[in-house]
This record gives sequence, structure tokens and C-alpha cells, in this order.
Amino acid sequence: MSIDQTFSDAAAQGAARGIGTGAVLPVQASRLAEAVTDLAAGFTRRWIWSRLAYQDIKLRYRGSVLGPFWVTLTNLIMISAMGAIYAQLFHVDAETYVPYIMMGILVWQFISGTINEACATFTDAKDVIQQVPMPFSVQAYRVVYRNLIVFAHNVVIVPFGIILFKVPVDWHLVEVIPGLFLLSLNGLWISLLLGGISTRFRDIPPIISNVVQVLFFLTPVFWPLDAVQNLRKALALNPFFAWIDVVRAPLLGVAPEPTSWPILIGCVLVGGFCSFLFFVRFRERIAYWI
Amino acid sequence: MASINLRDVSVEFPIYQLGARSLKKMLISGGTRGNLARDAHDRVMVRALHDISFDIANGERLGLIGANGAGKTTLLKVLAGIYKPTQGRIHIAGHTTALINASVGLNQDATGRENIILRGLYMDIHPRQMRDRIEQVAEFTELGTYLDMPVRTYSSGMMVRLAFAVSTCIRPEILILDEWLAAGDAQFLAKAQRRMEEFVEHSSILVLASHSFELIEQWCRVAVYLKDGGIEAMGAVEDVVARYKEDVAGGD
Repeated sequence: MSIDQTFSDAAAQGAARGIGTGAVLPVQASRLAEAVTDLAAGFTRRWIWSRLAYQDIKLRYRGSVLGPFWVTLTNLIMISAMGAIYAQLFHVDAETYVPYIMMGILVWQFISGTINEACATFTDAKDVIQQVPMPFSVQAYRVVYRNLIVFAHNVVIVPFGIILFKVPVDWHLVEVIPGLFLLSLNGLWISLLLGGISTRFRDIPPIISNVVQVLFFLTPVFWPLDAVQNLRKALALNPFFAWIDVVRAPLLGVAPEPTSWPILIGCVLVGGFCSFLFFVRFRERIAYWI
Repeated sequence: MASINLRDVSVEFPIYQLGARSLKKMLISGGTRGNLARDAHDRVMVRALHDISFDIANGERLGLIGANGAGKTTLLKVLAGIYKPTQGRIHIAGHTTALINASVGLNQDATGRENIILRGLYMDIHPRQMRDRIEQVAEFTELGTYLDMPVRTYSSGMMVRLAFAVSTCIRPEILILDEWLAAGDAQFLAKAQRRMEEFVEHSSILVLASHSFELIEQWCRVAVYLKDGGIEAMGAVEDVVARYKEDVAGGD
């Protein structure tokens, strides 16, 4: 039998039609490799998650005239009202307090919005996950990106605040960019972890939303760190304060607390690692849990 | 070269909403044909598929038949890569498009044209690439001016046309279809079949699940008859359909 013949025989076999059980299967990819592929493939599909995030916002405000700027307006009213009353309550100057609460609430909304929506990362995408094969991480990128879009709508009031209250603008402002970047990475691991756990345990979302509500009061968002002098050092170690601080302080033209950057970086590394382990182990179960 | 290989694939769904107590009740009451089991953690497991093995080569058209609850849709989802088998191994070579539900990815308030782009997203097609094909898709659907109307004004048959046209516009190597396709009218089905033949000629694989023997015999060359999550028969489509008809006629 010539080599050519052997080849054509093999080709004929390869093209053989029908249904059988004779083929030898290649080795399956490991969970780790699949998880890494998922994260990378999801990230490169920016055109999917950016469009889905944009569509989410469009749907949320369908038919409304102001659209996402409703939140901006709500914030404006809340910040003005809280600024006027709490400045008196805390005996602080409104000129410094109003910008403080403005930046604080905006950054807090980004963080709390991401955490709350993280719980629904996969459950909200139930239809898609059960019908179409798509990297799971696409949904996590979508949650973070959606909250970034909302944040972008909300910060339009910041320049007015800066001008109106003569907030010093200097090179500190540049720190906002790495700050937001790290907060986004932070949101990403939270989305993967909370999103995954919430598909399995449906009690997680209400628990998280309660915790976030309590944290709003426990974290120096609308009250200044200096208001509690004797606990100041301890309060600065609250990770949620650190997360807010790295973006808020630069917006106010001051340096963040020395502990803030290390705490945020630590959270991203430790949280990211735990979330990754969870994702590697349970990624393929998400479609079953949902 | 597209191919599908399954070896001893099993899929078990954990049901968390039921306590272990209600499991006992269910097991005693029977009637579920032994698809329920209990795992090591005392959870209720529904065994949707068990010990499924087969190979499908390039250019093959596979039909899945079986009663309701036999595992057809679950098997399609395994083939589509949505469910990873809880046991066994699977190997899929080739880009896969799954059409398990005609309305998935369709935004009821967006127009037909917008939905073509949107559905493309779910099929991993870049909007830019999709825009080039929009006219071709529009032509195939024959929806005319309806394409500029919101999808909520469509009949289910029209949605099927739209979904089918988008899904076959890129000629995936493996196309997985659930029985919703039957919602199309005869004229559309004839047109769809022509496209499907052309599509399979380009050495791709079609997997179709349906209750309609007519559709299966017309579109497929080989078939798998699923019963209670296992393979009851497989082989040439005529033989398998005959076997299924025999079973149905004979009763349980």
C-alpha cells in the first residue's frame, strides 16, 4: 500500500459520515486554564460588554426625558440639602463641607452601586447564560463598566462644585485616574465573587444590600474623619474609607491618608486572589446554579 | 474541520429549593422514572442525561428525538457549551452557534434592525461586521418594513425568521437548533432548508431537536433517540424514527 493510498484512506475515514463512538478524545483543559481563558476572552470582547452596559442604562431610563441625569439631579438636591444641614450639625464651614460631601457621595455611589449590582451579575444575565455560550467574565466587566458610565454622568456636577466652592485644583487631581482604575479592578473581583455566590445562595443580595446601607453610615462618607478625633486612626483603616479616599481626596485637592493607597491595593490583591480561586473552582457551576 | 465527540457524558442538576425531607416523599411517590437521586450531601439531584457517547463528523446532520423531558434540550445545551457535563468528556471542534430559544437576545422595544446587531453580539459577531450583513439578513427574513418596527409587534413566526436569518448569516461550523424552528410557516421552512443544505455542504454540522418526524427526516441523516436521559437508539434517521414510533405505539 503506497503512502498516498494510506493518506487517502485516512482522509476517507475522517470524512466518513454517520454516528459512532470510535474517536479518541484529546485531553480536557484544566479548570485553571478555562478560568484564565474566560477572563481573557471576556476582556477582549469589550465590544460586547460595553454595548450591553450601555443598553442596560438605556433600558433603565427608557422614555424618561432626563435619563441617567435623573440621578445627577437627585444627587444635586441631596448634596445641597445635606450640605446645608450637616455643616451646622458638625460645626464645620459649608465652603469646605459641601465639596467634601459632594465628592464623598459620588465616589460612594460608584462603590456601593457596583457592590449591590455585583450580586446580580449572573442572575440578571440568566437568559443569556442559559441560551448562549459566552465567557462568564463578560457579565462582570459589564457591571463595572455600567457603573463607570453612571459615575461619568454624576461627575458633571463636580466642576461646578469646584468653581463655586473654590476648591484648590492641583497635581493631586491626576491621582483620580489610578484611583478609579483600582476601584474598577476592585469592582471586578467583587462582581465575580458576589455574583457567583449569589446565584447559589439567593439570600446573599438582600444581606449585601443591608450591609452596604449600614456601611454608608459607619464610613466617613458624609461626616468628616476629623469629627471623631479619638477614633480617627482606627476609622482611617476602614477599607471602605480608603476606597473612597483615594478618589475623593485628589478631587478636593489634598493628599489621601497615607494608609489609603496601601489598603486599596491590598484589597485588590487579596480580594482578587480569593475571587479568582472561587472562579476557577465554581465557574462551570454557575450555569447550573442560575 | 468540525467535529463533536461525547464520552459517557452525564448531567445532573442539583435542586436546592427542595429539602431532604421532600426528597424522600418524591422518591417514594415514584412516577418520575428514576431520574431523581441523592448525592453525598443529601441534595436532590435530577439526572437529566446519563452515559451519552457519540461522535459526529464534518458535514453530518443529526436529529434528536424523544418525548418531553427526555433530555433533548439539555443535550443541546451541553453541545453548545452552556452546561459542562458533570461526568464524562466532551470535545467540540469548530465555532458553534446555538439557537435554543428564538427570542434570546431580542430586545422587545428595539427595532428588527437593531436586534440584528444585538443578536449578533450574543453570537460573538462584532457590530461592524454585522452591519455589513444587515441587508443580506433583511432580505432573507422577507420582513420588509417590519424591520423598522419594534420586535414586540412581531408574531412568533416573524421572530423565528429574524433569529434564523441572523444565526445562519455567518455560517458557523456547528449549528445547534431547538424545535422552535417549527414555528415558521411552510414557505419559510422550505427556504430555511435550502439554506441549511447549502450550509451543510460547506462541511459543517447541524444538530436539530424536534418533535416533528417530518422535519427530522427531511433535514437530518442520522438521529439519536433519547429516553429518560439516555440513548435508546442511534443510527440512520429512518431506523431511529421507526424505532421511536414503535415505542410510542407500543406504549410503556
